[in-house]
Amino acid sequence: MIWHIAKKEIYYNLMTQRFVLMIILLPILMIANALIYGFGDNGYTAEIRDYNRKVNQGRSHIEKYAAQGLGELAMVGPAEIPKHPPQLKFCADGTDALIPHSITIAYRINWERPEYEDLVESYSWRELWSLEYLPSNHGGDATTLIKIDWAFIGVFMSFFVILFTFDAIAGERVRGTLSLMMSNPIPRGQVLFAKYLGTFFTLIIPLLIGVLMNLLIIYLSGNIPFDSDSWLRILGMIGLFALHISIFIFLGLFFSSRVSNAITSLVWLLLTWVCLAFIFPSLLGLFVGTLDPIPSIERISAEKRLQLANIDDEFRPAALVEATKLSEAPSVDNPSATRLWATYFGERSEVQTGIADARVDQQLRQVQLTRELTQISPTACFQYAMEGLANTGIVSYMDFVKQVRRYRNTFIDFIKTEDKSDPHSLHIYPVREGLSQKPVDPETVPIFKERISHQSAIFPLGLLILYNVLFFIAAQLSFLKCDLK
Amino acid sequence: MATLWLVIQREFVSNVLTSRFMIGFLICLMSTAAAVFVQVEDYEKRLAAYHTAVQEHQETAQTWDLYSQINPKAHRKPNPLSIFNVGMEKSGADMVSIQLATPIWEKEAQKQGSDNPFFSILLAIDAIFVFKIILSALAILFAYNTISGEHEDGTLKLVLSNPIPRDTLVIGKYLGGMLSLFPMVVISFIIGILIAYASPATDFNSADLFRLVAVLILSLLYVSTCYLLGMLLSVWTKEATTALILSMFIWGLLTILYSNIATFAVMKFPPYQLQAEKEILQHIQQRWEDFREERDAYILKKWGYEHPASAVTPISEGNFLVAMYTSSPEEIGYSEFYYIKQIHIVDVSKFQEVLGYQEPLRIDYANQAGALLKQREQAEERNRQLAKDISRFSFADAYRFAVGAITDTDRESYQDFIGGARSYKRQVVDYLSGKNAFSARAWFSSDQGAAAFKDLPVFQNPHTSLFQSLSRASSDILILLAWNIVLFIAAYVSFLRYEMD
Repeated sequence: MIWHIAKKEIYYNLMTQRFVLMIILLPILMIANALIYGFGDNGYTAEIRDYNRKVNQGRSHIEKYAAQGLGELAMVGPAEIPKHPPQLKFCADGTDALIPHSITIAYRINWERPEYEDLVESYSWRELWSLEYLPSNHGGDATTLIKIDWAFIGVFMSFFVILFTFDAIAGERVRGTLSLMMSNPIPRGQVLFAKYLGTFFTLIIPLLIGVLMNLLIIYLSGNIPFDSDSWLRILGMIGLFALHISIFIFLGLFFSSRVSNAITSLVWLLLTWVCLAFIFPSLLGLFVGTLDPIPSIERISAEKRLQLANIDDEFRPAALVEATKLSEAPSVDNPSATRLWATYFGERSEVQTGIADARVDQQLRQVQLTRELTQISPTACFQYAMEGLANTGIVSYMDFVKQVRRYRNTFIDFIKTEDKSDPHSLHIYPVREGLSQKPVDPETVPIFKERISHQSAIFPLGLLILYNVLFFIAAQLSFLKCDLK
Repeated sequence: MATLWLVIQREFVSNVLTSRFMIGFLICLMSTAAAVFVQVEDYEKRLAAYHTAVQEHQETAQTWDLYSQINPKAHRKPNPLSIFNVGMEKSGADMVSIQLATPIWEKEAQKQGSDNPFFSILLAIDAIFVFKIILSALAILFAYNTISGEHEDGTLKLVLSNPIPRDTLVIGKYLGGMLSLFPMVVISFIIGILIAYASPATDFNSADLFRLVAVLILSLLYVSTCYLLGMLLSVWTKEATTALILSMFIWGLLTILYSNIATFAVMKFPPYQLQAEKEILQHIQQRWEDFREERDAYILKKWGYEHPASAVTPISEGNFLVAMYTSSPEEIGYSEFYYIKQIHIVDVSKFQEVLGYQEPLRIDYANQAGALLKQREQAEERNRQLAKDISRFSFADAYRFAVGAITDTDRESYQDFIGGARSYKRQVVDYLSGKNAFSARAWFSSDQGAAAFKDLPVFQNPHTSLFQSLSRASSDILILLAWNIVLFIAAYVSFLRYEMD
């Protein structure tokens, strides 16, 4: 019986003009997506070329400095660390243009101070490397933030879901067929479920066709390679589409059975949709910024300048060159001077690293909070889950930051253990002269390896399922209580 | 006249009593208020950051004691009207650092003043966005059943059996619908302005208020377009549901999809080909090579020196400490830096002469490099303009562009800022050459008096007059008006020919 009603619903839907509109628009969107992301010379191919170039640069950088000795390598550190470009950007763009694609390495070179040649020993140095989280420079060209990716097509699908469901119950009530159907010996729950199934299949089948067309074009273009893992992720995304559509079907059935006429139901649905899809995720997000303010950039940089100036004043005051603690240059024969320089570099690096890390942590925490709050919108959940599977978006950057920091520790540990094995070294970190001067085998230097995790998709996925259950219950209750006339 | 008034009244009352009016009103009001509130906070922050940056810059400027150290900065002042329409305000750069021998390149301009750059991943929702999406939907929801609904209910026949001309009815229905939408727009807008006014940071002058009134009028015009679209579809279709679905579909297409797809298509497959950035950078490198050759040849011919540094007499190894050149492939500028160690025992008068020749030439070459960059920017701009022209077809985007021009937060006003920075650089160069600073001793040494930057011109944010803004917006306003007229005539004619079966 369920199947019977569902079939009737599908036939009815197929005949409507909204189905015609959808069947025209959906392939257009899907093909547009495939053309935008699959073709053109600034797509994935260019990104991966750029990435490989940077990786090779990093390798030759390490080779170059490893040959100059462990001490030099310890101060210079690794080269810029690029983030692997996501293959499935066409599925969830995740405002990729606004997310940094690498973490750079900051260091400062100091020239000798010849003015004071008679007072201090000449020594030009390079400060210890530190991670620098530069925001992406998009050159002010990101004015159109809505990208035609799968996630956006999913949002647009939910709009169609509304157009399909707003009169599912209310329309039948107006036509008088609702009471006729109810006169049959079918429980109300089954009627609702059958209607749900009917709408679900009318929507999911065109979607699947669109997805297949899209994948075919992208696959034939040959610009984006697919492996078995990415096929699995695409399957997961189709599941997400289904969950998202299903939520809006329940929502539509809920309003449609609550309200006496179809139009009021559509007004409610439409406004809910606009709020859930656009207003909530962004407005609420911006609101959080005002709730949980972080210190302004000026304050942070002023603080950093002050702390660095304090250290400089302690070790090598600019005004009184005579009072400098660093009048002697570090060398293998002068451990005490080397130790002083090491403390100086160490303290400066601690301030620089501490402030830069704390800053980016604060910013990311704020964004994280925003994401958590905006997940009250199922559309936002859907988008985040898509980003999680595609490994795009801000969360993938957060993950990347964490991994790079872990790599930083690995790198420093490597330097220290390597240094221990050299009996001639002073074992003073971090100063060039305090460490082993022997060249290092570049093969042994640890290289950054990015691990891709899709964990961030789990929480929004759970929420999507939860919303399905909640809206299902709401729709059931409201339909059980609704009047037939 | 009396019948017209009656029709208007009836339409108004029947609209106002519906639930969609109440729900729509509430949502519109609340989202506008929330959007303005959030943007006011943001504006305050940007304004504070702007003031700090300007002050810090002034402090740094006082520490310059050589002419060659000059590095003025052009800071973009936040626009208070960005509270209502963010536009380019937050995505563009807000500081251009001016170096004499480095061309100004939009891409190198700096973005600062944002405490959390990651927030730019969120859509910048402002009052105009709310109007563009929500008000248009509401207008359509009011209009879709004006005719077909009455047709379905059977009341249309009854109404037309009265001695009311059809044109009165159609005009009355239009005016009645607009009258019920009118308070929504005006009240939401006024609440928005009040919230903005409540902040101590905002100080709207009379011109700003006039601009806001213009925005309000445009919003009404936009709402009217959407209403007419709904009404036209309502005349064309016999069933209210069909009218609704069709109009919602067109709404989604025009407000959300159309301009995005158009912009993407143009940006992805640009009709005006851009020269690759790498190539341009190579060209610039070439220009700097040329510069070095031209200079060396000239110096050799005129004074017989092989290198500018040879002009310092007596030539001895220890005179020059650092002579550093940078024009690495990533750099678009060329800097040469001399530090003369024993300034008190050498004769630098010839060196000054050489510098007096070389520095203007260097600036000239930087301008040539700038022209190369600008060429590419212009091609990019032409593509962008094309995307804009295609998007304009949608009245939602015509509305967006018109408002952007009037509130002065669109791409053009951002370009004005970059252009302003360019002309500021010319002023600075004129100022320096007026003072003969290039051949002054204070260009490279402060031992006989530091450089004085007493009346160095200060960067003025370019100001667009109201008239200019209006003329910029005029084409979009005309498009909106044209849509209104076309849709109205179509609805009017179709209703006159409407067949009552």
